[in-house]
Amino acid sequence: MLFLFQLLFFLFSFYAVGNVVKKRREGSASRRGVIFWLIFWLIADVAVIWPNSTTVLANAFGIGRGSDLVIYSSLALLFFLIFKLHIKIESINRDVTKVVRDRALRDHENIKTLKH
Amino acid sequence: MKGNIYKNNHRSLNFLISSFPNMFLAIVPAYNEEKTIGSVVQSLFDHVDRVVVVDDGSRDETAARAAGAGATVLRHELNRGQGAALETGHEYARMIGAEHVLHFDADEQFDVADIRPALAKLKNTAADVLLGSRFLDGRSRVPWVKRRLLLPLARLFHRLTDRTRLTDAHNGFRVLNRRALDMIRLTQDRMAHASEIPAQAARAGLKTVELPVRVVYREYGQGMGGGARIIKELIFGKFIRRIN
Repeated sequence: MLFLFQLLFFLFSFYAVGNVVKKRREGSASRRGVIFWLIFWLIADVAVIWPNSTTVLANAFGIGRGSDLVIYSSLALLFFLIFKLHIKIESINRDVTKVVRDRALRDHENIKTLKH
Repeated sequence: MKGNIYKNNHRSLNFLISSFPNMFLAIVPAYNEEKTIGSVVQSLFDHVDRVVVVDDGSRDETAARAAGAGATVLRHELNRGQGAALETGHEYARMIGAEHVLHFDADEQFDVADIRPALAKLKNTAADVLLGSRFLDGRSRVPWVKRRLLLPLARLFHRLTDRTRLTDAHNGFRVLNRRALDMIRLTQDRMAHASEIPAQAARAGLKTVELPVRVVYREYGQGMGGGARIIKELIFGKFIRRIN
């Protein structure tokens, strides 16, 4: 059972890494982003293939079980990513506003020019 | 880019500036306010030199009614929020060289009788920003939850984050002079701009004064959820330049 899960996870991580590399080639992923996701999937694969490895690390941090460490760190990572996403959306919103504002001012001037 | 937009219109801009050397411009952000915008614009003309209505993506006849009443209309194709609309008005004011600008709501909640005293106080006290306050006299009937809970919380937030001390925190009636117009750039598109103005004014060393104004509530305005949203916008806004 564990073997099947390991196999599926391994395949999925390959697919995810392939996607990251593809995005990099298309120019839509930053170098830092690629390195982050490669390390992330590498650590995830190591943790799935050798489940005890997380326990060793968890003990080093004073956490009893390896799976607890994985849950805690995943939650922290998810919160950080959601936060970054929020900031990104807000930043895009401001860009949209800039475009809408420029158009509003430009349209007004164009109408005035036509009237004169 | 702005230079390009206005390159061909120097003559009309110069004409505007020479017609009103100390131009007092009213900026009215409006979103679906077709019922009230016409009368608001008309009533403003007795107190200011020009009125610009920033139609913030309305789906009704707001723009047509405002233009019909004699206002200059700038039209946002998409709804971007009151802060965004005000900054569009500011940009227009900078272009035409307005000396003072007035922020005035489109829903008839403010009293035009407060405008002249406001401008006079701004000039007499040599202030750069004048903020209307609902609490300096007893003319405004502010809903209880707002008076006792939301606005005290907002005031506390301001005191802690910007060290500004105001009797009212979110009042849309304001007068700014050209110095303030040049130094304040609104980045908060939605309601949090009301917190951003006193904060930026304080940071830029601008002098801010308050004046009692009358506010008649047509609708409730910002409720508990709105207040929480404003705080969220202010917090996320502080991170935008740092991360991106």
